[in-house]
Amino acid sequence: MGVFDRLPPVDHLRSEKMCFVQLIMPAESARLAVTYLGELGLLQFKDLNEDKSPFQRIFVNQVKRCTEMSRKLRFFSDQINKAGVNSSVRPVLQPDIDWEELEAKLGEHEHDLLEMNTNSEKLLQTYNELLEFKLVLSKAGGILASSHDPVAPADRELDEHIYNKEVDDGIAYLLEEGVHLGATKNSGVKFVSGIILKSKALAFERMLFRATRGNMFFNHAPAGEPVTDPISGEEVEKTVFVVFFSGDQAKSKILKICDSFGATCYPVPEEMVKQRHIFHEVSLRLSDLEVTLNAGIQHRNKALESVGSQLWRWTIMVKKEKAVYDTLNMLNFDVTKKCLVGEGWCPIFAISQIKDVLQCATLRSNSQAGIIFHEMDPIDSPPTYFRTDKFTNAFQEIVDAYGIARYEEVNPAVYSVITFPFLFAVMFGDWGHGICLLLGAFVLILREKKLSSQKLGSFMEMAFGGRYVILLMALFSIYCGLIYNEFFSVPFHIFGKSAYECREKACSDAHTAGLIKVRDPYPFGVDPSWRGSRSELPFLNSLKMKMSILMGVSQMNLGIVLSYFDAKFHGNALDIRYQFMPQMIFLNSLFGYLSLLILIKWCTGSQADLYHVMIYMFLDPAGDLGENQLFWGQKELQVSNLLNNKNNMLHYLLCLLANNYSPFPLSDTPVAYGHCSCSMDALPKAFYLEETSQGEVPRAHLSLPWDVRNGSRF
Amino acid sequence: MGFLVTTLIFLLSGGVASLLSLLCCNRGPSTNLFHLTLVITATVCCWMMWAIVYLAQLKPLINPILSGE
Repeated sequence: MGVFDRLPPVDHLRSEKMCFVQLIMPAESARLAVTYLGELGLLQFKDLNEDKSPFQRIFVNQVKRCTEMSRKLRFFSDQINKAGVNSSVRPVLQPDIDWEELEAKLGEHEHDLLEMNTNSEKLLQTYNELLEFKLVLSKAGGILASSHDPVAPADRELDEHIYNKEVDDGIAYLLEEGVHLGATKNSGVKFVSGIILKSKALAFERMLFRATRGNMFFNHAPAGEPVTDPISGEEVEKTVFVVFFSGDQAKSKILKICDSFGATCYPVPEEMVKQRHIFHEVSLRLSDLEVTLNAGIQHRNKALESVGSQLWRWTIMVKKEKAVYDTLNMLNFDVTKKCLVGEGWCPIFAISQIKDVLQCATLRSNSQAGIIFHEMDPIDSPPTYFRTDKFTNAFQEIVDAYGIARYEEVNPAVYSVITFPFLFAVMFGDWGHGICLLLGAFVLILREKKLSSQKLGSFMEMAFGGRYVILLMALFSIYCGLIYNEFFSVPFHIFGKSAYECREKACSDAHTAGLIKVRDPYPFGVDPSWRGSRSELPFLNSLKMKMSILMGVSQMNLGIVLSYFDAKFHGNALDIRYQFMPQMIFLNSLFGYLSLLILIKWCTGSQADLYHVMIYMFLDPAGDLGENQLFWGQKELQVSNLLNNKNNMLHYLLCLLANNYSPFPLSDTPVAYGHCSCSMDALPKAFYLEETSQGEVPRAHLSLPWDVRNGSRF
Repeated sequence: MGFLVTTLIFLLSGGVASLLSLLCCNRGPSTNLFHLTLVITATVCCWMMWAIVYLAQLKPLINPILSGE
């Protein structure tokens, strides 16, 4: 074991050494310092104002301003989406914009946009009303015209009027009644024309009939095409109506009823000449309005485009500022109220970088006093930080999803880099599909630079982030596919002849008794003769189940051995004696023994039933094994296994009770065992400047981990 | 016999891969050890997979019965 002590420490195996630091920053350089520290991403601030509510903190106004600006930005992106404007994200050619300037600009843009929106809304409403008026003119005009001279249809010039039987009957009835419509001014018959929703037309008519005690004539014609309602803005089916009545009281009643039913009345003159005149005017106005509306929309779209090209940059800026102010809120003012004091954790290798950055900030802000940065003695345990590169980052994330390692605990990610893709491949196992996966991984890796600066959809982002995982998965899949002998589920005879052949040349019993083994086993992988045979599944199932047991037991053993090395590193002899030893004995006397049985059965070709052996080891240890005997001395070994196990567990539990010693430290969960031997609940993981609460494993959430240069997150 | 030969082949290829990783990506002792860990883990995993499948076919209890008819 001495050789392990003399080896250099393995990269990524344990957390980087962290130190607890205190920063004292003069107020004028504080903001700049925090911005630069955020871009560096190597310092985790401790929240010194935990007990204060968000409104009691120092920089609450700035945070409010930031949220206001982000609300405006969201409004812009909504508008852009609604208008369907496609804005190209132009590269960073525009000059850097100041914070105050940005605020003013955003306010301006929002004001302009809101104004444009209200204007266009008003215009649109007027436009729709005019459209309705035009419709009413044409239809009502048709109705009136037909009422004027029913015998001269040629005089009717207005387009799209409906001359139907209803109108005929109605007119005939009126004529019979002796109402002469040619001289309406004298006879006192007036009319009201308008437009109403088709669904309400019947109820409207009935109401009018009841209100005027039947002294009215209701004529209507459908509008023919769906009309955009000026108030609601939706497309609805409407009907044009004309109500003939006499008397003033009836008029007021009718108008009130029109109001209540939401029917809009438009004045239609009687004479055809006037009608044509007004129709012409309305058409002119409509075309004018159209032009104005289009111009308005163009103007707005141009404004949206110019906003849209900058939107991504501005969003990033606002997010950064908000993060900076959130961090500043974690600091405290000192007694003189001139400096901000902050405490935090940083890795030891980063100290010089941090000092440089602080120097930069002091120079940039032209402050008199420099920033004081010194180490302190920590009170609580340090957070865990792994310095990952683009390759190991994805694997570390996967491992962290199960649980974050304690400070200086063994990091299972070192082994997971290989075992995770390997176990995936054991399940995937097809070298044809593996080649496809490999090509996909190559595409992602070769276009790394281009894809990392783009904004990708959520699925592509996941795939891109895990490109190295996918690469390893593909390589192992090709290997496992060769072993399972599956190329898109087709077996090949790559590694020589199959071991199985027919009993005789004629192959008469190939479908009943099957082939026999004539040669040594197929040198690499599953024999191709198995595929498609009737006994393929019993063979493969048995093989794969036993493979899972063997691989699982070896991985569990790896986990326990890692815990031994961990205990040795921390000098924890108790752990070795009362945790490692019992775990090893327990695992290996049961499942290690089962693995041994599997191997012996394979090597000797015995017909022993392993289920039976394992179960009766417990039920009847002293009984005779009979045909299930795999090796000499098996019974004795089994009995001693059982006794060992029982003693071992008693020992383990008694020591727990006697030392009041819990197997897992109460505040943290040891991950080395967790990842390799049993599943644990995933601890939540934050990326930004949040602190973990008391009782969770602190992880170094280092500030602003995004690539600021091209504004995307890696 | 075939088992031992192929195991030796795996051992040799593992050794060759470790040497290659040491020669090509020499980046300090701790990183070298990390790469070595990866190579050895991969070799062991691959060998184990092959060995299990090989041993399962040494003395099989059933034989392929062709389907059809």
